Amino acid sequence: MARRFERSRRGVTATFDDDERALLSGLLTEVSQLLDDGTTPSEDPLEAMVGTGGSTTPPSDPAVARLLPQAAKDDPDAAREFRRLTERGLRQRKRDGLERARATLERPGPLVLDAEEQHAWLVALTDVRLVLAERLGLRTDDDADAVLAEVAESSPEDPRVWMASVYDFLTWLQETLVAALSKQLPRG
Amino acid sequence: MSTAPAEAEERVEALDGETAKPWVTIVWNDPVNLMSYVTYVFQTYFGHPREKAEKLMHDVHEAGRAVVAHGTREEMERDTEAMHGYGLWATFSKDA
Repeated sequence: MARRFERSRRGVTATFDDDERALLSGLLTEVSQLLDDGTTPSEDPLEAMVGTGGSTTPPSDPAVARLLPQAAKDDPDAAREFRRLTERGLRQRKRDGLERARATLERPGPLVLDAEEQHAWLVALTDVRLVLAERLGLRTDDDADAVLAEVAESSPEDPRVWMASVYDFLTWLQETLVAALSKQLPRG
Repeated sequence: MSTAPAEAEERVEALDGETAKPWVTIVWNDPVNLMSYVTYVFQTYFGHPREKAEKLMHDVHEAGRAVVAHGTREEMERDTEAMHGYGLWATFSKDA
């Protein structure tokens, strides 16, 4: 059984069993692969460096579109331009963070995270939960309650039952990580 | 000391007038992000004290959206990109 993220003298720690490690590692890898749009970095050295020169249209997969959302609601031109300038960089930073988090699972023994790894895990758990939520159809607060109640009553063969239990596990895990990290912030 | 040609001065003024126009970054509610996480992001990214970060988080949660920053368009685009990095859905627009 997993033990929650906790602050210790060595940093932030957590303990996972082998099944949990495999599950987390697989999810982090899958979301990173979802974010891989198959494009190589721009051939323009400046564009490659800053991550611009990307697509101008939202990703067709709604889960990826949630990770890379429209940045301007009533101004399609501004949204397209923002996406062209930022999407590649954002994809790459998210993939780097997911990979950084996954790599910590390869170390033996309890997880001990340094500051960069804590941040990577915090954001990676968010990105994985956003993808699972989209696959489960959780798009509003009302959906969330209704879908999770419906899934709780469906047959165990329904793949959403397993997905919902993974989602709950990640929610719990992230809550413990936020609590551990919030402890080190100044009060007030 | 040299003086700028009159035409260039005018252009600088016009640019200043443009960038001074207030833009905003809006964060939208979603069913996934934890209240504690959203508060943490507002504390660490914007440097808000906990109380202010919590108030902003409640505004997002209850009203469905909240303005989290004011500034130039460039600043608001930067904040929007940072929020997307954290998995929050943010947009930028001219202050209405």
